[in-house]
Amino acid sequence: MIKDITLGQYFPGDSPIHKMDPRVKLLITLEFVVLLFVVNNFYGFAVCATLIVAVTALSKIPPKTVLKSIKPLLFIIIFTAFFNLFYGGGSPVFESVGWLRWLTWGGIRNAAFMSLRIILLLVGSTFVMYTTSPVMLTDAIERLLGPLKKLKVPVHEFAMMMTIAMRFIPTLVDETDKITNAQKARGADFETGNIIRRAKALIPILVPLIVSAFRRAEELADAMECRCYNGGDGRTRYKIYSCKSRDYVAICVMLIVTASVITLNVLI
Amino acid sequence: MIIKTEHLTYKYGIGTPFEKTALDDVSVSIKEGDYVGVIGHTGSGKSTLISHFNAILKPTSGKVFVDGQDIWQDDKTERIKARFKVGLVFQYPEHQLFEDTVYNDIAFGPKNMGLSGEEIEKRVMTSLEFVGLSKDCLEKSPFELSGGQKRRAAIAGVMAMSPKVLVLDEPAAGLDPRGRDEILSRIRDYHKETGSTVLLVSHSMEDIAENANSIIVMNRAACMMHASVPEVFEHASQLEKIGLDIPQITRVFISLHKLGYPVSQNIYTVDDAEREILSCLKGGGARD
Ligand SMILES: Nc1ncnc2c1ncn2[C@@H]1O[C@H](COP(=O)(O)OP(=O)(O)OP(=O)(O)O)[C@@H](O)[C@H]1O
Ligand SMILES: [Mg+2]
Repeated sequence: MIKDITLGQYFPGDSPIHKMDPRVKLLITLEFVVLLFVVNNFYGFAVCATLIVAVTALSKIPPKTVLKSIKPLLFIIIFTAFFNLFYGGGSPVFESVGWLRWLTWGGIRNAAFMSLRIILLLVGSTFVMYTTSPVMLTDAIERLLGPLKKLKVPVHEFAMMMTIAMRFIPTLVDETDKITNAQKARGADFETGNIIRRAKALIPILVPLIVSAFRRAEELADAMECRCYNGGDGRTRYKIYSCKSRDYVAICVMLIVTASVITLNVLI
Repeated sequence: MIIKTEHLTYKYGIGTPFEKTALDDVSVSIKEGDYVGVIGHTGSGKSTLISHFNAILKPTSGKVFVDGQDIWQDDKTERIKARFKVGLVFQYPEHQLFEDTVYNDIAFGPKNMGLSGEEIEKRVMTSLEFVGLSKDCLEKSPFELSGGQKRRAAIAGVMAMSPKVLVLDEPAAGLDPRGRDEILSRIRDYHKETGSTVLLVSHSMEDIAENANSIIVMNRAACMMHASVPEVFEHASQLEKIGLDIPQITRVFISLHKLGYPVSQNIYTVDDAEREILSCLKGGGARD
């Protein structure tokens, strides 16, 4: 079913990580990403990895799911690692002649270093996606970008568009599924024939889909107007985020991790 | 048996946190030429069940037989045949209309069956008559029709395939009472005239009692009962427990019977009720 390709990977739950203020989560993630580029030795990575393991355990997301976030970029990781093998400098692994001469210990270290960095980057940054619903995420982004409103950047409108778009992706995916099934029931065939035939076979799906998307858009616009929606000015919020103790704890943990990484950088 | 399921189980979203068993070990069989009502609470698995009858959904486990053939046993041919043998009208079928004219839209199914132009035209005309649309609609765009007319055009699109089994998922949902009666009586006529098997999914016991010969009661992903209409209504208390109800008129007559009036307990429609009361009055009527 098409439903399997849902956008975002929100993994509903009730853990402290899920309940954190999404703004804090976003900022901490950003800090973590920057930190990964500051690290210049393996001990630093060990600290970061420990943090990730701890967050995984806390958030109750299956480790397998967490590791899955590496998959889309696995090729790039292998590619990067492979080339790093040969550009490390230092003493060769094998003293023999031929191209193997280029494989050095320094290269192996570099390869491991780069792969670790990318893996930690991927895994670390997907936690926000896993533990925050898309709507909360856009909300947090809107709040964080709030100061830009002073420069007449339409932050609110942009965030509203994003929220609506995300809100309707599952609906449209559902709808596509339904229409596809209805046309299949009338004997439509989407699987055989050449490209042109297949493209043509999509018309019975696309036309009703577009019609329904427009209908929904109109209905939504009407419903919003009926409730006197007129842009972001002067709107108050239903959900007011406030930093709770768990957020302060998270910030402290992050500060400690940052401090240890920097100390390790200097010491080693 | 035109349709049969054996230990049919279906789960949505296997391997995700949203995994949900929508059908749990359902074994039902449907006789050829029967008019079967499928009833159950919201989310009880009615739509999921009927989507298995023409191979839209693949069972997680268990088997589905159409016309004696296990449709998932071997290659695709059985499933393609099942698509044409079992015509499925989904909930809100008007959302599937897409052609430029009503005629072309109704003809979409028959065209996919590879019928000749003449035969297609014949079928479009007959099914148009079955659903009670006028001929001037044919050249209109389906998007110009009213909601009820769209619904009929979409149903005609499936009828035009002359399936052995016509399955309708809530064909009357969202229509006014008159539109509902009209569509249901059209379907009843279709059943009588073509002799094909009809499955009607509905929330309304009234609608089902008025139309069907037998009832499948779905409850929490399982088939709780499958029996003739009077047999199912004998279990009124059990139905009430799962939030379903026997038709009001039937309840009135059961109470009358209990009070000692010589009336039948198997009254499902207002017409029957009228007849029964009249005959009761003629026969002296009073309490024994
Ligand atoms: N595409 C889907 N993905 C995940 N779960 C689904 C999907 N479709 C249905 N379900 C779930 O499966 C269960 C059975 O759904 P189904 O649509 O068969 O119920 P129904 O009896 O037709 O209900 P209704 O009377 O509301 O139409 C429900 O609990 C529903 O939440
Ligand atoms: Mg349904």
